[in-house]
Amino acid sequence: MAPMLLGVVGLVGLFQVLVTPRMLTSLFRDNPLLDILVGTLAGAIGSGNPVVSYVIGGEMLGQGVSLYAVSALILAWVTLGFTQLPAEVEVFGPRFTLYRNMLAFFFTMLIAVLTTLTVQVLL
Amino acid sequence: MKKEDKPFVFRGKYFFLVVFIGYAVLFFAGSEKAIPAMQKSGDILTKILPILVIVILLTAMLNYFLRPQQIVKHLGHESGAKAWLWSLAAGVISHGPMYAWYPLLEDLRRHGMRDGLIVVFFASRTIKIPLLPIMIDYFGWTFTLVVSLYILISALVQGLFLEMLEN
Repeated sequence: MAPMLLGVVGLVGLFQVLVTPRMLTSLFRDNPLLDILVGTLAGAIGSGNPVVSYVIGGEMLGQGVSLYAVSALILAWVTLGFTQLPAEVEVFGPRFTLYRNMLAFFFTMLIAVLTTLTVQVLL
Repeated sequence: MKKEDKPFVFRGKYFFLVVFIGYAVLFFAGSEKAIPAMQKSGDILTKILPILVIVILLTAMLNYFLRPQQIVKHLGHESGAKAWLWSLAAGVISHGPMYAWYPLLEDLRRHGMRDGLIVVFFASRTIKIPLLPIMIDYFGWTFTLVVSLYILISALVQGLFLEMLEN
């Protein structure tokens, strides 16, 4: 397990340097539906402490990006992760990993939509 | 040799090798990113080390005190609603990155823990109790409460869906 964990840590470090918050923020357009998808993918690519996703999300809201996209980004940041996929396949097997990530991907987008709609009704 | 019988210490050596080659390519290509990436990795490793120690201790205690039959009874296919709620709570209070918990979950799974509970654990980890004040500060009370509620409900639904997909 030690080489695998070191591999994941190494990959996360690499991603944190190569994929900057500015790069992630620049991916969004003014289309809420497309932005949910982009937010989910950006969250899956992003790595590091979830606080980083809050900071990026805060910046995005300030720049006029929808709450749909921001919600998707901060949710996907924790539940999805390209950097940990090889380790997840190795530990839990390809079938479990595929199903779990498919469910996490779909529910990230669903929660993003439901949360935004609920917040809009409540506020 | 079955997958479960692989020697524990050699898991992921090819994956590590690929990452290592990635760093080597970056370094010899003259990229300025290689050293900062290595420093970042060092920082991450330092941060997750205490969590890894907890995970290793928990795994060792589990193997020492619990028999596989007990794990199957509490977390296996015959387990009831309590197991789902425990997984939900464990996910919410667990710290550190997801991969730090792989060794413990792998061990529990090998002893009979059902896959749905693992999914519940992973899905509920989106709620980070120590980070809730920061989330409230950035996105407000309403957003934080609403998103947390949906995360908890969806974690249970995802666990159930996974078991439906697997069967």
